[in-house]
Amino acid sequence: MISIDNVKKVFNRGTVNENWAVKGVSLDIKQGSFVTVIGGNGSGKSTLLNLVAGYLKPDEGRILIDDEDVSNVNDYKRASYIGIVFQDPLSGTAKSLSIEENLAIAMKRGKKRMFGMGVKSRDRDFYREQLRTLDLGLEDRLKDKAGLLSGGQRQALTLLMATLVKPKILLLDEHTAALDPKTADKILKLTIKLVNENNLTAMMVTHNMKQALNLGDRTVMMQLGKKVLDVDGEERSKLTVTDLLELFSRELGDEAYDAGML
Amino acid sequence: MSLYAFFGAVEQGLLFSIMALGVFITFRALDFPDLSVDGTFPMGAAISAILIFNGVNPWITIAIAVAGGAAAGAVTAILNTRFKILNLLAGILTMIALYSVNLRIMGMPNVPLLGFDTVFTSLENTGMPAYMANVFILGIVALLVGAFLIWFFHTEVGLALRATGDNMKMVKAQGASTNRMILIGVALANGLVALAGALAAQVQGFADVSMGIGTIVAGLASIILGEALISSVGVVRAVIGVIIGSIAYRIAIAMALTIKIGGVSLSPSDLNLITAILVVIALMFPGLRSKIGVVGK
Ligand SMILES: Nc1ncnc2c1ncn2[C@@H]1O[C@H](COP(=O)(O)OP(=O)(O)O)[C@@H](O)[C@H]1O
Ligand SMILES: [Mg+2]
Repeated sequence: MISIDNVKKVFNRGTVNENWAVKGVSLDIKQGSFVTVIGGNGSGKSTLLNLVAGYLKPDEGRILIDDEDVSNVNDYKRASYIGIVFQDPLSGTAKSLSIEENLAIAMKRGKKRMFGMGVKSRDRDFYREQLRTLDLGLEDRLKDKAGLLSGGQRQALTLLMATLVKPKILLLDEHTAALDPKTADKILKLTIKLVNENNLTAMMVTHNMKQALNLGDRTVMMQLGKKVLDVDGEERSKLTVTDLLELFSRELGDEAYDAGML
Repeated sequence: MSLYAFFGAVEQGLLFSIMALGVFITFRALDFPDLSVDGTFPMGAAISAILIFNGVNPWITIAIAVAGGAAAGAVTAILNTRFKILNLLAGILTMIALYSVNLRIMGMPNVPLLGFDTVFTSLENTGMPAYMANVFILGIVALLVGAFLIWFFHTEVGLALRATGDNMKMVKAQGASTNRMILIGVALANGLVALAGALAAQVQGFADVSMGIGTIVAGLASIILGEALISSVGVVRAVIGVIIGSIAYRIAIAMALTIKIGGVSLSPSDLNLITAILVVIALMFPGLRSKIGVVGK
């Protein structure tokens, strides 16, 4: 499904700030697999996701999706089969557009936008029905501007928009990290539901080690731009948070504790 | 202010509201501060005037002027999206280049249209007084353009274009090309500005290569005044606000010109100063309103 083939990414090449954010990572992800990604700050997790999504182009190596080399396919073209949710809950919706207008934009993902009405009246029932599944009362607020919603509500809307047109791949970059624990929990449950219902292939970056081990079927740990752990199956089920922390401190030294990796 | 002066201000307000609606697309909807309009306004005037001068039907000259403005806008958009030139600079480059282009189009710095048929004379020939005919035709065009924009902003492309001005990351994540939206938006905006330029040439009876100076500031002043008067919540209100703001702006200018301070009265050459002061006052307005709690949330 997703094949990351010895990918490298360097920022500010040739300057004093030259920074190899991803130093040759390979990862083969099967259709329907749910991979959790952990690692210290600046270890290249977001860069890796952005490479898969096409916001960044690899300096070396290739990215294949369904056996097709997409390394040079533009971000917005890849969006036809990739849904993505970022950490910043405000980044996935347009605040000056209404909820239904945001959904209408998501309805057209992967299709040519022309001059038909954006919000079609026949779609409104579908929007309401979809919003009802969020259980946030948004189904009665179709005409409200997205900017009026709370961070959690906007993140829930983003998640819905990322999957409204079923993608092949869902990328989640610490998408609950900026939310309060209760809302984060809700968004997480919603994520799992959407992934399962749509049988999506997913990559989720998280700071939460327990989540990383309990959710999904495979866990990858990044450190300094390299993949330092890649476990699934029985090996993974035996792994505990303490094991992970130990691994972390071995990779990082005491910094892991200083950075509050718990 | 005399009734005559009032009608004159309304006429100007309607005329320049068409330009201001173009500026609204770039500055407000797209968040793309496009300065090419100072070049595309006289470009529209130049194309229309020289074609009328050579015997082309005045309505057809307008269509060609719009196409010319849109093409120039497309150049600005491409300079920005393809060649990665800062949007502000891309607009300035087009504006400067158009100064030469406009001179080429006209072949002279000034094309007089006295005695030529324009879209306005056709109505005057029915016996309607000129000032009413002008307001009538400009009013209809302004309303049509306003209605068109309201429709456009609600289409699939229109939604993505508005979202581009708001959150490009989201637009890309939803599979739309922000470059395409910028191209469509800036081209459309400059098409409208050229439309206003063509009508300006026909209503004033001449085209002049320097008639575009200050276009952008007048457009912004109208938009900001409209927002202060009507508030900009919602597309429909915002579009109506631009038209009303443009008329209010011209009336304010007309009134300012009647003021005498000591023995000195303001002259049209003070217009740019007055505009700058008006923009400052209007910019303070929404801030003042939110401070006293009129604007919720
Ligand atoms: N756009 C960018 N320009 C320059 N450096 C960047 C950019 N994005 C990320 N980096 C750098 O790349 C490294 C990896 O960053 P990132 O992938 O965001 O880490 P993580 O998500 O694991 O915290 C960091 O050193 C970061 O400073
Ligand atoms: Mg990150």
